[in-house]
Amino acid sequence: MAREAVRLAAAWGALMVLLGSTLGLSYVQLGSMNIAVALTIATAKALIVVFLFMKLARAVPLTWVFAAAGLFWLLIMFGLAATDYGARLWVIAS
Amino acid sequence: MPDVVASAAAPPEPQFASLRQQSEVASIGIWAFLATEVLFFGGMLLAYAVFRKAYPLGFAEAGRETKIVIGTINTMVLLTSSVTMAGAVYAAEGGRRRLLTLLLILTAALGLAFVGLKGLEYSKEYEEHLVPGIDFAFASPHANAIQLFFFLYFMMTGVHAVHLTIGIIVVLVMAVRAGRGAFSPAYHSPVEVTGLYWHFVDLVWIFLYPLIYLNGRVG
Repeated sequence: MAREAVRLAAAWGALMVLLGSTLGLSYVQLGSMNIAVALTIATAKALIVVFLFMKLARAVPLTWVFAAAGLFWLLIMFGLAATDYGARLWVIAS
Repeated sequence: MPDVVASAAAPPEPQFASLRQQSEVASIGIWAFLATEVLFFGGMLLAYAVFRKAYPLGFAEAGRETKIVIGTINTMVLLTSSVTMAGAVYAAEGGRRRLLTLLLILTAALGLAFVGLKGLEYSKEYEEHLVPGIDFAFASPHANAIQLFFFLYFMMTGVHAVHLTIGIIVVLVMAVRAGRGAFSPAYHSPVEVTGLYWHFVDLVWIFLYPLIYLNGRVG
């Protein structure tokens, strides 16, 4: 239990540092990179949750298939939508 | 050789060869459910992405109206609750009944704190006339885009809060069962499955936080 407690404390510390970083960096002018930085930090937090808390790496391979399927279809939805909205000239931009 | 020797207290259900197989099936089941949840929230996130690209100025102005202090405290609360939930699963694996019960109650309490703060946030937004469809008024050339942002905000955070409320109830049920000694190192997959759901709800918030609160903080 002691080793697990240390691991969880380290994960909590990392999550808090990442939260502080994303909060601080959101007030720094980075132009279009602001959203990229914010989403990269969110992804880093998500990886901690998925691999340390949800223990995906230790799950059976069939579980990976289900986890990957969710992500895969999400990417298809965003990817296909982006072919339209990403390529469209927005004339109504306010 | 059997995977896990079934204890007399909790044999596997008849359709399973072993408790380990039963636990794996439960785990795959919740992951399959979570995959559908990814797409459920994904649709709303796609709507957000499309409208944010269409109305960048309106969305940035709306983002500055969100309550960043409450939002950030709530993020800390929810991330911490995931740590206590992960600790609960470790406690279940180690057969630490009292610790398991305590960590589950702590997780539910953190979840309740989140919902309470969210309610406070909603009431402030209501007072500031930021609730589309009920009372929305905003003096800005981008008022329509700002209203659209707040519609998406209430939909996404509202659906998230409903998920969290369900999670709190399930975690409390697990706490009661744990207190009665229902779980053992060999059998605790309900705690694990509850944990996977709880972590997923945390994952959704991890992405909602920068999209809602951090948007438009510069300029």
